[in-house]
Amino acid sequence: MREETIVAVATPPGEGGIGVIRISGPQAQAIGEKILRHPSGKTITTWPERKVRLGVVISSEEKVIDEVIFFFFRAPRSYTGEDVLEIQGHGGQKNMELILSAAMAAGARPAEPGEFTKRAFLNGRIDLAQAEAVIDLITAQTDLAHRAAQEQLRGRLSDYLHQCEEKLLAVLAQIEAALDFPEDEIPDLDRKEAMGTIAEVAKELAALAAQAEKGRILREAATVVLAGKPNVGKSSLLNRLLGEERAIVTPIPGTTRDFVAEISNLQGLPVRLVDTAGLRETSDPLEQEGVRRTWHWVEKAELILIVLDAAAGLSAEEEQLIREVKEKKRVFIVLNKSDLPPRLTADGVAGRFPGLPVLTVSTVSGEGLEDLEEKIREALVGKDFGREHPVIVTSLRHKDALERAGSYLQDVLAGLRDGLSEDLLSVDLRAALAALGEITGRAVSDEVIAAIFSRFCIGK
Amino acid sequence: MAQVKIYDVIVVGAGHAGCEAAYATAKMGYRTLLLTLNFTNIAFMPCNPSVGGPGKGHLVREVDALGGLIGRVTDLAHLQMRSLNTQKGPAVQALRAQVDKRRYQEIMLGILEREPLIHLRQGEIVDLERVGSEGVSWRLELSTGIILEAPVVILAAGTFFQGTVHIGLVSFPSGPQGQHPSVSLPQKLAAEGIRFRRFKTGTSARLRRRSLNFEAMIEQPGEETPHGFSFWIPWQPRLAASCWLTYTNERTHEIIRKNLHQAPMYCGAITGVGTRYCPAIEGKVVNFPDRPRHQVFIEPESAGTDEVYVAGLSSSLPEAIQEEFIRTVPGLERAEIVRPGYAIEYDVVAAEQLTPFLQLKECPGLFCAGQINGTSGYEEAAAQGIIAGINAGLYLKGETPFLPRRDEAYIGVLLDDLITKELDEPYRVMTSFAEFRLSLRQENADLRLAEYGYKYGLLADAEYERFLAKKERIEEIRATLEKTAFDPESEAGRKITELTGITLKQRISLAELLQKPGVSFQMLQEVYTQLPPGKDEGRVVENQIKYQGYLTREAKMAERLRKMEEKRIPPGFDYNQVPNLSTAAREKLSRVAPLTIGQAARISGVGPADLSALLIWMEARVNR
Repeated sequence: MREETIVAVATPPGEGGIGVIRISGPQAQAIGEKILRHPSGKTITTWPERKVRLGVVISSEEKVIDEVIFFFFRAPRSYTGEDVLEIQGHGGQKNMELILSAAMAAGARPAEPGEFTKRAFLNGRIDLAQAEAVIDLITAQTDLAHRAAQEQLRGRLSDYLHQCEEKLLAVLAQIEAALDFPEDEIPDLDRKEAMGTIAEVAKELAALAAQAEKGRILREAATVVLAGKPNVGKSSLLNRLLGEERAIVTPIPGTTRDFVAEISNLQGLPVRLVDTAGLRETSDPLEQEGVRRTWHWVEKAELILIVLDAAAGLSAEEEQLIREVKEKKRVFIVLNKSDLPPRLTADGVAGRFPGLPVLTVSTVSGEGLEDLEEKIREALVGKDFGREHPVIVTSLRHKDALERAGSYLQDVLAGLRDGLSEDLLSVDLRAALAALGEITGRAVSDEVIAAIFSRFCIGK
Repeated sequence: MAQVKIYDVIVVGAGHAGCEAAYATAKMGYRTLLLTLNFTNIAFMPCNPSVGGPGKGHLVREVDALGGLIGRVTDLAHLQMRSLNTQKGPAVQALRAQVDKRRYQEIMLGILEREPLIHLRQGEIVDLERVGSEGVSWRLELSTGIILEAPVVILAAGTFFQGTVHIGLVSFPSGPQGQHPSVSLPQKLAAEGIRFRRFKTGTSARLRRRSLNFEAMIEQPGEETPHGFSFWIPWQPRLAASCWLTYTNERTHEIIRKNLHQAPMYCGAITGVGTRYCPAIEGKVVNFPDRPRHQVFIEPESAGTDEVYVAGLSSSLPEAIQEEFIRTVPGLERAEIVRPGYAIEYDVVAAEQLTPFLQLKECPGLFCAGQINGTSGYEEAAAQGIIAGINAGLYLKGETPFLPRRDEAYIGVLLDDLITKELDEPYRVMTSFAEFRLSLRQENADLRLAEYGYKYGLLADAEYERFLAKKERIEEIRATLEKTAFDPESEAGRKITELTGITLKQRISLAELLQKPGVSFQMLQEVYTQLPPGKDEGRVVENQIKYQGYLTREAKMAERLRKMEEKRIPPGFDYNQVPNLSTAAREKLSRVAPLTIGQAARISGVGPADLSALLIWMEARVNR
C-alpha cells in the first residue's frame, strides 16, 4: 500500500500566485530526477535535504513546463514520514496540471483524498486527532451541497461509460465463458469482430479523454498569447477583445513591459489573453526580461496570435518569429490595418506561410474582430463544442483513467492481432475495465460472471 | 451412563470433504473418528462421474500438492482422462477425468482403512453438546446410544442436513440418491445458535447402458495425457471407456415446456436457491428459448455396472416425464431409467458464521467443510476438507491457522470468496474468479503448496525429497536456458531457423528464444541436446519464461495484496466505535468480521474512504 509514490497539488485550486505540488513515497527522488533540471538544463544529481533550490520542470518530451523552486525532504523527516519532494511553481491550474502530469508520467499516481494525511498518520508524523480531523473534513466535504453538481457530472460520465463497459464485458464474457466451460457449446471468440468492438470503444475513450482538455479549458480558461513586434497594435487588439481599456496603449516601442493577462468571455468561452512585451533583441535589461517572459507564455499557450502591422510590411525579424513559434504552437497571423496605406495583404502573407490562418482586423474600426473571435473559439474547442459529446470530462483523475483504459485496449488489439492466447488477452481487457471502474465504480469480477451466465447456456 | 469414547477429532460425514479432513488430522498425529451415516457410501459421487475441469482441476492438483487424496484416487480410478483448453494458454489448461465411481470408493476406503489413526464408523448423531469448563469439548450421542467426545468436530455433512428430495410434485425427506437424511443434528446445531439457509441442487437420471443405441451418438474417447492429477504417484493413463455425445431437440423442449407446471422449480415447490452453472434442463429450456438443441453426454458410472450418467439432462420433472423427454434424444429412444433425476434442498451454514479457515466463529473447535458451507462439487469439497483438517490440527496444537492467499492457490480464492462474497447460489470455483490466474497454473501447484504439505505432516519425507529434487532441476533448466546462446551462423542457429521459422539477426539465448510465440521447450531440446532432461520441469520453465511480463505484473499486484493481508483486524472488533464509517460498510463489516484489512477491502459496500477511516482508527487504538 505504501510503496507507491503519490502526487497532488497541495495548494487550493484557483489562481494563486504560487502553487505547490507534493510528491511522497520511495520514488520521490527518482521522479524528481526525471522531471527537474537545473535552470541551466543540467541533470540534478544531488539531493540535499530541506534546501531551497531553483530549477525547471520538464515534460516527458523534455520541454520546459515551468520555472520552480523545490525542496527535498528525506524520510522520515517529512510531513508524511516518507521521501517528499515539494515543487513550488507558478500557481495557475493549467501549470499545476502540467507539472502533475509530468510527475505521473514519471511514475507517481494521483493521491486519493486525504492520502498524504493518512500516510503522515501511519508513519507517526501526526496524531490521531489531527488525522481524524482531516478525514472528517474529507467526508464532510463529500456531503456538502456544492459537491452535488460534481457528482452529477460524474454520474453522467458513468452512464456514458456504461455503454463502453457493456461492449467490453461482452467480449470478456465470451473469452471467459469459453475458458471456464470448454465442454459447453460456447462459440470461439471471433477475433476480427472483437477487434472491431474494441477499436470502437478505444476510439470512444480517446475522444472522451480529448474532451478532457476542452473540459479543462471550460473550467480554467485557455491561454491565448498576443505576440509580435512592438507597436504593431497588440495592446489595442487586446483592448478590443477585452472590450475595455486594460492595457496601456502608447506609440513608443517597448512600452508593454509587463504582460497583461485577463479573463475574457470570448463567445461564452473563458480565455486568458496575454499581451507580451514584444520579441525584439534589445540591450535594455528590463525589456530583455519582457522578452524572456514572452517565451515563457508562448510555452503555456493554447494559441498564439502573431500580430502584424499591415502598413509596416513584414520584417525579417517577424518572419523568423512566425517560423519559430509555429513549430511549437498553433498560430494565427492577425493583420492589423491602420489608417496608413497597407503594404501587406492577407493573401500575400498567407502565400508566404502556407497553412497558417491569416485574419485581417482593424483595431480602429473593429472590423474583422467578430470573425477573429469566432476563429479563436473554434481553434480552442472546435466548432461543435458542447454538442458533439454528451459528456465532458473535467477531472484529471478521470482523464488519467480513460487514458490508461485506452492504452490497455491498444494492448488487447495488438494481442488479438498477434494471436495472443485468451487467458492473456483477458488480463489487459480486465485492466481496461478496472480503469473504467475507477470512474464508474463497477467491479469487473462480479460483472463478468453475471455476463457469462446471462449470455451463454452453461451446464453440461 | 454409557462409556464415553474419546477422540482428538470427530469428522461427521465421509464424503469428499470428510475423507480429506480425516486423512489430514490423522497425518498430523491425531486420533480421528470418521463417522458416516452409511459405511457403504464412503466417498460416494452422487452426481456426475467426473473430476476436474478448469478451476476444479486446479483445486484437485492443489489438494494433491498439499498431500491430500482426491488427485491420487482419481488417477487410480479414472476411466478416461482429457486435457482441456490445450489451445487456450497455460493458465486455463486443465485435466478432467471420467471416474469409475465404485473403484473410487474402494480405493478411498482402502487408503483410510490403512491409516492407523483413523477409526471409521457408521452412525447417526442425535445429540450434540458443548462440555468442559476449561478447554471446550464436544459431546456427541449416536442414535444407538454411543457417546463420543472430542475437542474438535468437523462437520462435513454435504447435502444431508434436512435434505428434501423433489421429483415432480412428489417430495420427501432424503439425502442424496435415496440415502437417509440428517434431521436431528441440524436441529441441535440450531439450538447452539448456528444459522442455516436453504440451497438447492440436482442431478440427472441414470440409464441402463444396454438400452441405448450408441450408433446414433458421437463417441468421445479419452486421450493419453502426459500426466495425471497427482504429483506423487506414477501416472498410468487408461483409455478404459468412452463418453458419447448426443443432442436434445425441439420435441424434447416441447415436452419440458408443456410440463413446467409439474416442475418443482417452476411451480413454487422449491424455495432453495439453485445454481446458474449447473442448471436443470428445465432452466435451460426456459432461459434460452432460442437454442434449438442442448448437448447431452452419456458417461459411464463404473466399469463394473451397466449404469450410465446422462450429463445435460438434470431434471426434477416427474419420472414419467423424464422418461418421455429422454426418449426424444437420438440414441436414447428406448432408454430405460434406472434412477430418476431429482432436485434436493438442504440446509447450509450461513457463511458469515465461518472464519476463512473454516471454524465456526462462536464455537471453538467446531469446523465445517464442503457442501454444508454452500459450495458445490467434489473438488470444492475436497479442498475445504483438507483445509479444515489442517486447521483442526493446528487448533489442537495451538498454532496459527493455515490460510493460503488468493495469489497462492485456488483454495485461497475459494476460502476468501466464501466469506467475503454473499453467496446467492451454491459456489463453484471458476478460473475467472482468480485475479492471479496466470500464476495459479495446474503444472506449478506443487511449487506453490508442497512446502505447506510437508510442514504440516501430510507429505512423507520421500515425497518431499522428490519435490526438492524437481525444484532443483527446474532451476538448472532455467539457468541453462539463460546462459546458453547461439549465433545465427552456428549449426544450432541454423537448426533454430529450421525448427521455428525464425531468422536470427544476432546472438540469442535459449531463454530469449523461448519467449517468442510458437517456440516450445521441446523445440529447444532438439536445438540443444545437452539441456537437462525433465518434461514436467520443462513445462514449468516454459511457462515461467513465456509469461514473465504478465507474471511480474501479477507479482506486483500480489505484493500489494499481501501488505493489506498483513494488517490484521482483531477478533471481535467493534466497528461501531470507528467514526466516519458509512452505515452500509459498518453493517457489512460487523456481519462478516474480516480477519484482515485485505478481506475487508473485498467486501462489497466497503469503499476506500471506509478503509482509510478503519486503518487510521485501528493503527491508533489497536496496534500501538
